[in-house]
Amino acid sequence: MRTVAFFALALVAFAGSASPASAAGEDGELDAVHHTSDGYYLDFSPLPIGRGGKLELPRLFLVRRADGSLGFDAFGSSTAAVLSGRYVIGAHGDGDGAHSPAAHAADPYAEDALAQEIAEERPDPNGLTVEELSETNAEEILGETAEPEAAYDAPIEAAGGAEILIDLSISRHLVFILLTIVILLLLFLPLAGKYKKGVGRTSAPRGLLQNMLETLVIYVRDEIARPNLGAKTYKYLPYLLTVFFFILVANLAGLVPFGATATANITVTAVLALFTFFVTQLAGTKDYWMHILWPPGIPWFVKPILVPIEIMGLFTKPFALAVRLFANMTAGHLVILNLIGLIFIVGGMSATAGYATSVPAIGLTLFVYALELLVAFIQAYVFTILSALFIGMATAEHEHDHDHAEDHGLTPHGAAVSESNGQAHHKEHDRTVGSEAVMA
Amino acid sequence: MDPFSLGYLAAGLGAGLCVLGAALGIGRLAGAALEGSARQPEAAGDIRTTMIIAAALIEGATFFGLIVCILMAIK
Repeated sequence: MRTVAFFALALVAFAGSASPASAAGEDGELDAVHHTSDGYYLDFSPLPIGRGGKLELPRLFLVRRADGSLGFDAFGSSTAAVLSGRYVIGAHGDGDGAHSPAAHAADPYAEDALAQEIAEERPDPNGLTVEELSETNAEEILGETAEPEAAYDAPIEAAGGAEILIDLSISRHLVFILLTIVILLLLFLPLAGKYKKGVGRTSAPRGLLQNMLETLVIYVRDEIARPNLGAKTYKYLPYLLTVFFFILVANLAGLVPFGATATANITVTAVLALFTFFVTQLAGTKDYWMHILWPPGIPWFVKPILVPIEIMGLFTKPFALAVRLFANMTAGHLVILNLIGLIFIVGGMSATAGYATSVPAIGLTLFVYALELLVAFIQAYVFTILSALFIGMATAEHEHDHDHAEDHGLTPHGAAVSESNGQAHHKEHDRTVGSEAVMA
Repeated sequence: MDPFSLGYLAAGLGAGLCVLGAALGIGRLAGAALEGSARQPEAAGDIRTTMIIAAALIEGATFFGLIVCILMAIK
């Protein structure tokens, strides 16, 4: 009953906050694309947090100054960085940055002004490039003018001969990674304390949180780690659990209002895949390396072909891991974005049609949202089980390998059915797994 | 027809073809898995696990293609 009341309250609160959101949409300030991409601000759009609903994040730059010395600049926000005069908004295609008041204030004689002059010298509309043409088309359809670029939305460059060596700025995805880490620590440190005291080991687990999380932990242990790792389960279980819960929480963080999906950033998933790569290589037994560098039981003339393929297979596996997670998380958001965008595109042609479109569009969005909830769990599961699989393949010994080889033997057939750009990769994967089967 | 519009056309067609391939693959996979677990219900758990792994691999290959298409469309 209490939960129902809570949900009702949350709904009322949401309805209250939704009306300014729709108003903002009609102003042509629909800033949804930036939900999937990284940025240097947190978007609280309907709420009056930060400036215009956008809370800018600190910018940190390691720079080489004009005189060759190294320096470190820290600003509270991108706007502050531009207003300091040491940084300018970079030239961005057609010089949109020149319209920004901040850029004018900072450096009126920069390249942007030049770009604007060049643009003004071209009166003939037929002389526009294709991008500009499509942009004007979009303006006509959506009934909105191109927004001047704000400092937090544009690439920032150092002014006056200086050069940014490393951009250490706190980006939105970084904030959400840190948030995920904090959530995980808050969830699991008390839980670990409980188990140390014996609750859950000598007695039944107590409380909602412990019961819920124990189910997931046991699931990862019994369904993901143990079938793939066998006797070495407990050695690699901490890593697998960490990866599983990190990805899960990061995925779910993207589904809450004002959230961002850190796992929809290729660098984040690449680092996760790199961890798996290093764990796999460090776990590798002598057999594992021998099967890569000098596969036994194969005619000699095949070896020169097989060995490079095996070595490439080492790197394609983590690469596929990274791209899979990234693409899944990005694709879900893009689909939602397209469905919502449909309302505005149709609404630009006729208002009535726009309202009529919003009903199926919102229904479909809800469906995709539920699907994304599912995908958040499935992708965490898939990443973890593939990590366990790779580690298991590297640590497999001759004796207890039979189950594995059968498991692995199934994968390449399924994969070979798909017909897309990944063909070469799958051939290599097939090879890797094939030699695994030979090993058994 | 200028090269840019051809690029957009290619992106759209490519995305469609990618999804077609993945749908065929996952469809056959799911069909075989269902058949397998209907014949041998006691192996349903193992079959489900291997099915998900294989589906993830198919999906991964599809997403390589889709990303190429998306990059073509937005860059």
